[in-house]
Amino acid sequence: MVRNRLVTVLTLNDGVLFRTKQFVPDYRYTSNFVDLWSIDEIVVLDVTRPGHGDRAHFYDAVSRLAENCFVPLAVGGGVRSLADARRLLSVGADKVVVNTGAIERPELITDIATAYGAQCVVVSIDAHARGDGTYDVRSEFGATSTGQSPDAWAKRAETLGAGEIFITSIDKDGSLEGYDNDLNHLVSRAVSVPVLVCGGAGNWQHFVDGFRIGGASAVCTTNIYHFTETSIRSAKRFLDAAGLPVRL
Amino acid sequence: MSVAVVDYGLGNLRSVAGAITKLGFEAVVSDDASELERASKLILPGVGAFGDGMRLLHERKLTTVLNRLVIELQRPILGVCLGAELMARDSEEFGFHQGLGWIDASVKKIDGGGLRVPHVGWNAVHQTATHPMFADVPQDSLFYFVHSYHIVCDRPGTEIGVAEYGGPRTAAFARGNIWGTQFHPEKSQRHGLTLLGNFLRA
Repeated sequence: MVRNRLVTVLTLNDGVLFRTKQFVPDYRYTSNFVDLWSIDEIVVLDVTRPGHGDRAHFYDAVSRLAENCFVPLAVGGGVRSLADARRLLSVGADKVVVNTGAIERPELITDIATAYGAQCVVVSIDAHARGDGTYDVRSEFGATSTGQSPDAWAKRAETLGAGEIFITSIDKDGSLEGYDNDLNHLVSRAVSVPVLVCGGAGNWQHFVDGFRIGGASAVCTTNIYHFTETSIRSAKRFLDAAGLPVRL
Repeated sequence: MSVAVVDYGLGNLRSVAGAITKLGFEAVVSDDASELERASKLILPGVGAFGDGMRLLHERKLTTVLNRLVIELQRPILGVCLGAELMARDSEEFGFHQGLGWIDASVKKIDGGGLRVPHVGWNAVHQTATHPMFADVPQDSLFYFVHSYHIVCDRPGTEIGVAEYGGPRTAAFARGNIWGTQFHPEKSQRHGLTLLGNFLRA
């Protein structure tokens, strides 16, 4: 039986590790504390705003990370073309994460899936709660409304060749209040590919809820205090005790 | 001893080469016949679609080279994920495609029976045979899988490990010098590195 995955999301601003809050780079980490051995998978996202920073810094950072990373590495941020995807794979990515690029040109998903297989394409969806129980998919770091609902977009992305869906609540990002499991459930119910949920995890019970209520295949955290060896082990023991099989 | 990672334009070549280097061996990523010939071990990696994989092997004239090295000269080779699938006779992924035909097996779409497809994540590999591939790898160790199609062996014997996902699925096979894993040892942490080391030292 496949285990429940615990995934670390690293957000890089011009090649430097930052935590984000409601999508704004919020806190810079001076050293890399990520334990590359206990975590099940790593997602690296370039959150550098267009016109700021040098993309080469991001590629360098990914390349350095990949050298010592023997778990799957999904990388994204600013992927607009098959050439961008190829570049990420060449610096050590195992999967490519697409978001705004796929909203602007949905065929991008098919292009990458055709070239490298569906399992290589993770479609990231940033959703904003309208406050009336519905959600709006946002592009360009949450700035632009698309008017699409995340479940419909996830379903379409799956049809176009997405191998996994990565759903993030913009509102919960960096809040530590727990995931938006209404959102997660909406999306996980809509598709048959694995769903990774992100945004808001602040304690181990939030991970349990992400799996049980949100229907997640993988729970993600960007919180630095969730990265260390002891904390990942502790989180996994908590999940195991709650009856959720994990890789201990 | 050098290890050649066969470059046919698909696949996580860097990850595989990185793991080989980490284990203290020299990795050469190449599609050049003479370079492949010089290597004492071969790895056929891969992520992507079966049809594309075979087309690229043919385009780069690698099928002829590989058949000579692996079948005639019995050079040890490890296929990983798509690389292992390509060793089968045929596949039904996006149409019917012929494979290298080294293993009596077909590649079929995973019928998850309500489980999510692709099969992504860490799953236990149950060793159904004693094999050098699994030296120092505990029974039912977890390995990382990511695939929508899977290898179905014609008969027991070649299969040496299975993983449960909507039924027992072939996770590893071996026939003489030809080894294959449906999972990614280069992305499976400690046990994955042990298994790769077993191939490199065998």
